[in-house]
Amino acid sequence: MYLQLVEHLKHSIETGAIRAGEQLPSVRRMAEDLLINPNTVVRAYRDLESEGIVELRHGSGVFVHESISGRIDLMKKAEPIMRSAVDRLESLDLAEDDIRRLMENELASRRTARHTRKRRA
Amino acid sequence: MRELAVPNPASDEPIVAVTNLSRRFGPKQALNDVTLAVSRGCVFGLVGENGAGKSTLIKHLLGLWRAEAGRVKVFGLDPVSEPTAVLARIGYLSEQPDLPGWMRVAELLRYTQAFYPRWDAAYAEQLLGQFGLDVSARIDTLSKGQRARLGLIAAEAHRPDLLILDEPSSGLDPIVRRDILEAIIRTVTDEGRTVIFSSHLLDEVERVSDHVAMLHQGTLKLCAPLEEIKARHRRVSFRFEVPRTEPPEVAGAIRVNGAGREWTVISDARRAFAPAVAQHLGAVIVEDAEASLDEIFVAHAGH
Repeated sequence: MYLQLVEHLKHSIETGAIRAGEQLPSVRRMAEDLLINPNTVVRAYRDLESEGIVELRHGSGVFVHESISGRIDLMKKAEPIMRSAVDRLESLDLAEDDIRRLMENELASRRTARHTRKRRA
Repeated sequence: MRELAVPNPASDEPIVAVTNLSRRFGPKQALNDVTLAVSRGCVFGLVGENGAGKSTLIKHLLGLWRAEAGRVKVFGLDPVSEPTAVLARIGYLSEQPDLPGWMRVAELLRYTQAFYPRWDAAYAEQLLGQFGLDVSARIDTLSKGQRARLGLIAAEAHRPDLLILDEPSSGLDPIVRRDILEAIIRTVTDEGRTVIFSSHLLDEVERVSDHVAMLHQGTLKLCAPLEEIKARHRRVSFRFEVPRTEPPEVAGAIRVNGAGREWTVISDARRAFAPAVAQHLGAVIVEDAEASLDEIFVAHAGH
């Protein structure tokens, strides 16, 4: 229930159903609308806060972070780049698992490279 | 009605404390050494099959049964020796609310109101409107659902510190069940008020509860925060190279079933147990997932 709620809220924010700077429904309202335990809503809100998606303003409620729109724009720009990369990999007849492994290897080797550079500096 | 004992709001004393409670009905052990506590502000889900002891436990909380062995405290008081002080702060709805059929809706509410100094007439009015209940209707002409809703108003309108719902959803349509769940959420979002909710509808219990207790043949099989129960029970399916005629021995398993090459285990263990077991048994893990409350319940009930 809790994971469902977190995913649902993230989706609403990503699709722009709830925009940057806007307030999320109160815990009470959310619990009553979805018929779930209010503590589940509190946990979901805290989770989103720790991911930097929302901000808990004391006494006034939960707001979607202003910086989120920048991040969403960025993700939108990245999507076509990713799509064409995956298209090209698929044209080589690579399976999903291979593509995933390539992606992770690439990220890991960059991580190692950055790490060694830092140690040298 | 005499003055109510006001609890110290700063104390973390549980709203309900049951200690080593046992009860026999003839040869039947209805409750067997049950110990549990319900803390303030939580929704406490009570699950178990018919005859597991849920209603018997609730009747002890209401002071309708005296503890044969063990102790029952509600708001720190003995509900048998101080029924007035305890019952004034409890709202109670049972599966078949015992409402006098010859009364009209308005009469019943006036009658109920007389028992509760904190009765909130405006709130009762609002709920009547929301439920579409006709105040001039005779109770015996109401449908089962409308009767349940009326019972809910009678249980809720004095804004009790403790709302006890004993199988309230049994045999009701989804819309009435929704009204009942709403009442639970409403009660618990009001700071400090507590709900005990007994049901065999596990998906409903899972939605609204903070804490779940499971009774089986009078014995408390589980009593923990829902989150903890969910976290420690896993459903793991193993596939074996060679078909087995006997179920595999798995430590922490509360239920093993399957046949041939595939066996599924419901376990009460921490997350990382499956790989070690698979290695030990020479099997492959096909699935390793959180068990549903339903699966956990069935496993503990030993079916």
